[in-house]
Amino acid sequence: MSDSLPARREGQALAQISLVDLLDRLLGAGVVVAGDVVISLSGVDLVQIRLNAVITTVREDMPAPLTAGRGDRRG
Amino acid sequence: MADRGQYLFAVARGLDPQQLGDVSGLRDAAIQVLEHRGLQAVTCSVDLAEFGEEALRRNLESLPWLEGVARAHDDVVQATALVATTAPMRLVTICSDEASVRARLDEWYDGLATALDRVEGCHEWSVKTFAAPAPDSGDDAAPKDASGAAYLARKRARASDQRAAADAAAQVADVVHQELGRRARAVRRLAPQDPRLTEFPGTMVLNGAYLVDDGSRETFRSVAEDLASRYPDAGIDIRGPWPPYSFATLD
Amino acid sequence: MDERRHSLTQRLETDPESVERDLFKLVLTVVELVRQLMEAQALRRVEEGDLTDEQVEGLGQGLMHLEEAMDELKARYDLTTADLNIDLGPLGTLLSE
Repeated sequence: MSDSLPARREGQALAQISLVDLLDRLLGAGVVVAGDVVISLSGVDLVQIRLNAVITTVREDMPAPLTAGRGDRRG
Repeated sequence: MADRGQYLFAVARGLDPQQLGDVSGLRDAAIQVLEHRGLQAVTCSVDLAEFGEEALRRNLESLPWLEGVARAHDDVVQATALVATTAPMRLVTICSDEASVRARLDEWYDGLATALDRVEGCHEWSVKTFAAPAPDSGDDAAPKDASGAAYLARKRARASDQRAAADAAAQVADVVHQELGRRARAVRRLAPQDPRLTEFPGTMVLNGAYLVDDGSRETFRSVAEDLASRYPDAGIDIRGPWPPYSFATLD
Repeated sequence: MDERRHSLTQRLETDPESVERDLFKLVLTVVELVRQLMEAQALRRVEEGDLTDEQVEGLGQGLMHLEEAMDELKARYDLTTADLNIDLGPLGTLLSE
């Protein structure tokens, strides 16, 4: 069928992966075309939800605003 | 001073950082490998002006930005997977600092250990099947129908042919998925991709991801190629080996 | 992806000519949807077998003319049926063919 098993390049990538395949996996939401001109990510909502999950992670870790005894992290 | 965060590419086991070679992180930042409880977090420092909440909202909607980050992300994941058992992270997994990366690893520890056990010694393969595009252009060439009844009869026949073709394509997809599944440690059926986004003209029916033990790789490949020649109309597409993106998720 | 857009969120074109074309496209899409639904319904009725020969003939003629009219409209703006199709995401595409 298609010649899609490229030889492994020396010390390089395992194999070529198309952008759609890559985004499908990295974003975990599937990439779809909505309308006739927009490329959305299973509905922008999903991106936002995923975004919130990331944001929550970041936020939880953000140190609390300067409080007594925790003035060490700033810069 | 700019706020910075830690961008997490992957979590590995048995990774010797020196074997990563000269792959760089995002925006030429150096790759940092954080050792924690027998796991290695592969990270780099990023500017939150570009990777923080507000900025991500904008940037994720820009295809060139998304493509650039996805490719750079994949470069790091691939370099890691070449030399160690690797659980790739999804795009834009960001922690505020090293301490929070460690906290994240603690929180995910059991899930990560399970995922790493699952993917150890394996790679991902992608096999897709298709339904041939409907040949409706034949209608244009056909002479005008002799009567209304003839027009309807032709439409009926066409609808029935389309249903039969769709059923056949679905059956082939199931057979392919089952046969390949027997040679894989784990399988996933991903959503079919829109033809407007891919190079494939027909309707994608099967978008299969297969976790294949390296020892079984040749068997898997030959079964797949055999299926491709058994069902030439399905346009079976076989790709791999890839890092195990679809099998290292924690949710 | 010959019509790849650089931004994932597309703003409506502001060029007057393409506004007209876009609106026309939208209208045609709706008309095409109705036409396909009518055709599917007609086929169902014919299969059920409760129509007279005259009714079948009338239905067929009407639908045939409708299809010809659609073809003419599409040609006027250089549109194919594929151009009219709207993707509803998880629901699939609007037009079945």
